[in-house]
Amino acid sequence: MIKRLLALDGVQVICLFRDDGALVEGYGVLDESGMVRLAHFAHEYKRMVQANADQLSMFTQMRGWTPPRGWIVRGAGASVCSVGNLVCLVENREASLNEIMNELREAASY
Amino acid sequence: MSLIDELVALHGVFAAGEYSYRGDRFSYKGHVSEEHARMASIMCRATSMGVHMQADIMAGSYPECGVAPAGGWVVRGPQFTVCVMANVFCFLDNQASLNAVMSILRTRLADASSDLI
Amino acid sequence: MTDLQTLMKLPGALAAFEFSDRGELGAHQIAPGGKLDADSLDLLCHVCVANIAIATMQARGWEKVTGAQGFYPIQGFTLVGFEWTAVATENRGVVMANEQADYEQAYAALAG
Repeated sequence: MIKRLLALDGVQVICLFRDDGALVEGYGVLDESGMVRLAHFAHEYKRMVQANADQLSMFTQMRGWTPPRGWIVRGAGASVCSVGNLVCLVENREASLNEIMNELREAASY
Repeated sequence: MSLIDELVALHGVFAAGEYSYRGDRFSYKGHVSEEHARMASIMCRATSMGVHMQADIMAGSYPECGVAPAGGWVVRGPQFTVCVMANVFCFLDNQASLNAVMSILRTRLADASSDLI
Repeated sequence: MTDLQTLMKLPGALAAFEFSDRGELGAHQIAPGGKLDADSLDLLCHVCVANIAIATMQARGWEKVTGAQGFYPIQGFTLVGFEWTAVATENRGVVMANEQADYEQAYAALAG
């Protein structure tokens, strides 16, 4: 099901990971070990973003930040985008982040 | 004597406690309110998770790197210092002996699991 | 300011280094025969900058919410690793073997 996200411009890899960070399935240009590493990173980064969003809510007493739905880390040439337990590796030059985040949001809700 | 009791008995230590890695429980002793201790445990847990991730990333790039798995961390401000080893946190003023606190933490938690469970 | 040579005299010192505000490694010294190199030190510098930034956010929030003072601005961050400990202040740091790590002396030297 998630494989169809590879059809989006710029998406190089799409992975689904479990709540413990283990790779469930992945598609794209990375080999198996690369996808395992991407899933592990996304899992840990998700927990860190959740923890920092919790603190932002705690300090500002503002709702609206938590629970975070997703995150994007943007590099010079590539980005990593994640919503829920889905993560994808994206090439910036070709990608529309809006389209990718919308598709990720939809796929993560299945 | 429990580790937390031992820590809060040290000169300059004003709070010590532990949190669950799941983030659903904490306990503490010392001269801070329950709410402030709850906030402290949330902050310490957040930093610990980040530090573990960073140490693991370093080990991924440099397998012989001596920092992973991370054991703990220290943050120092102008008047106060926060020390965390495993899931135990300790707040002290800078007049206290950081070495004494760290020595107790490292000795007593030497066998603590590095799994964040 | 304490120079890197002096930092290398701390007990168990394996490396001393400077880094930019973004975490890029600058001048550094590495004890001979160790496993550290410039690339791993550069990554370590990024870890230090990241955690000083996180701690700064926490200190800011904590002081606003509690009204307490004394954490902000963050002066230093220490990572206690499996074998090694890294102590860093604003733009400099030192790596020490865990068994010989003297945290107080390291912070004092880095503040000097």
